[in-house]
Amino acid sequence: MEDTRRADGRSPNQLRPFSCTGNPLHRAHGSARWAQGDTVVLAAVYGPKPGTRKGENPEKASIEVVWKPKTGQIGRQEKEYEMILKRTLQSICMLTVHPNTTTSVVLQVVGDDGSLLPCAINASCAALTFAGIPLKHLTVAIGCGVMENGTVILDTNTAEEQQLKSFAHLVFPNSRKSVDSKEPKEKDEEFERGLITSVTHGVMSEDDYFNCIERGLAASSRISDFMRKTLQKEASSVDA
Amino acid sequence: MENLRWRPTVNEREFIEHALQSDLRVDGRHSFDFRKLKISFGREGGSSEVQLGETHVLGYVTAQLVQPYRDRPNEGTLAIFTEFSPMADPAFEPGRPGESAIELGRVVDRGLRESRAVDMESLCVVAGKHVWSVRVDLHILDNGGNLIDAANIAALAALSTFRRPECTVGGDDGQQVIVHDPEVRDPLPLTIHHMPIAVTFAYFGEGNIVVVDPTYKEEAVMGGRMTATINSNGDICAIQKAGGEGVMSGVVMQCLRIASVKAADITSKIKKAVDSYTTEKALKKVKRLPASLPQKINVTDVTMENKGDGELETQTVKASDVQNISKGDEDHRNMKGNSPLIGDRFAKHKQTSTFIGGPSNWDPYSKGVSLSSLRISQLPDPATTSKASSHEEAQPMLTESSNAEVKSTSSSGAAGESEEAQEMGSPKSLKDAVKPKHKRKKKKSDRS
Repeated sequence: MEDTRRADGRSPNQLRPFSCTGNPLHRAHGSARWAQGDTVVLAAVYGPKPGTRKGENPEKASIEVVWKPKTGQIGRQEKEYEMILKRTLQSICMLTVHPNTTTSVVLQVVGDDGSLLPCAINASCAALTFAGIPLKHLTVAIGCGVMENGTVILDTNTAEEQQLKSFAHLVFPNSRKSVDSKEPKEKDEEFERGLITSVTHGVMSEDDYFNCIERGLAASSRISDFMRKTLQKEASSVDA
Repeated sequence: MENLRWRPTVNEREFIEHALQSDLRVDGRHSFDFRKLKISFGREGGSSEVQLGETHVLGYVTAQLVQPYRDRPNEGTLAIFTEFSPMADPAFEPGRPGESAIELGRVVDRGLRESRAVDMESLCVVAGKHVWSVRVDLHILDNGGNLIDAANIAALAALSTFRRPECTVGGDDGQQVIVHDPEVRDPLPLTIHHMPIAVTFAYFGEGNIVVVDPTYKEEAVMGGRMTATINSNGDICAIQKAGGEGVMSGVVMQCLRIASVKAADITSKIKKAVDSYTTEKALKKVKRLPASLPQKINVTDVTMENKGDGELETQTVKASDVQNISKGDEDHRNMKGNSPLIGDRFAKHKQTSTFIGGPSNWDPYSKGVSLSSLRISQLPDPATTSKASSHEEAQPMLTESSNAEVKSTSSSGAAGESEEAQEMGSPKSLKDAVKPKHKRKKKKSDRS
């Protein structure tokens, strides 16, 4: 495939530099600040708090998401993000461990330069881990865009999102690392790593969409390695 | 859900009170010591993060053109919006602001607006028709106590680094306002006459014991509080004492004297942080300027009315343009197009763009850089691609991208790039302030 260069000089598969800071906030039970290039999201987790809201199932824990934009009033876009995050996080949390409780996740957009939703999902997953909420597995989110010539580019920024015909935000579970390192890598890929969440914008063909998923899946294992290292570092610094 | 406000236990309360009677504070400070203050700024101007001990506040300034109030046709407006985010404290519920949130907003507002700290008349464009409305959003991220002081500092820091786009009145009838793109004309800073600093005092034990900058534990135990907003000239801008313990007037006078000393101290800290940020930004831009200066370029202005057309307009001018001076980030922004008005979300993205290159001389502090050498509009060749995100990325990435990109006509392209590579070592961003635990360098993936 041809070597297309993106506006900011990255190659199609190149992600922006990631960084994750654990527990920058003191009052919150768990918090994380996730930065992808210039997109920075701060997530804080409080919970589990007693009681559930009206309408929620009291036999399970419930997740409440509050999304705070950088400026302006809360509108439909923010409500949509809250809903997507809530459903995504509900699927990874072990809800039956603490029934009849509410865990609230609050997100603050500190900087927005594209791929905001994936950054927020990564931040909230890290914050949940730092808070000690029991999870089935981690989520790894990535934004993929489809260029005119069919190339799939990863980790879109604002300029690219505005120009591209279509782009998608995809969320995968993290890659499994087997304790027995003798297992060959190919076997790992055979595991069915289903797609947790997918939000698309614009029109793309079926092939393009499946290309996006394939690329996203490949990139997600790198992001999940990064997440694993960060979480391990945080955990070891807490114990020390 | 029931009230989740943190309430101190009897033991904690007694411990704090007894310690204060021996002039000891729980965190080891003296009675009149402020906690450690750390001010950091975001990529674009107008965004600040203030950490006062454990308290963390984010300030963000935006501006848009509106119609002025009827009774003040030649003054701009300043509005403060305070958000007590639920992440700061489990007691903060999302939705309607509680009374402490409203009180904080009012105190900061009085200190800034009614004391005329920000010059409103300079924000007027067309009297009676168009004025700039400046909006300050303060997000409380972590409640470690003394939110008023921290929020005030965040607002001042953000206002000091905010740059509004320049606009001229023109058009057929002389009434049309043309807002210029930030890279075409340098954005202007706000005129800030003085810095009103809020200093909060907490009273314990029937008004005898006074401490400055209470933590949230001390706030839960205190008998009363008073906030004095004072500037470094010693002018009192506002005093807020809403109920609580009665305090002798002599003690109040003493507090005001202490406040003026503290205000001078904090003003110098804010000014130092703002200065280092602005000189850093100016340096980045100056270093991008190549040794050989090009000829005059046509300046395109993006009109307010047609945002979509404006983008096309800049692109066609780009095509006809011959010179290429910029280090690429200019066209990155041009491609985003759109007017710089902040009311629009896109414009906000533009401000947060990974723009580092392109000289512009908005910085009032820089000396020694002549206006003419910097005020050249950068409308590069469409063939050039930008390396806007190079700020964050590692050195090898930079050299690799510079090889790949078509930095066509400029002969000084190579020189400029090596300078940029040098520049990589020093640029600081909000991310550096946050101490990233795990910095991810560029990822080279060769997936098929």
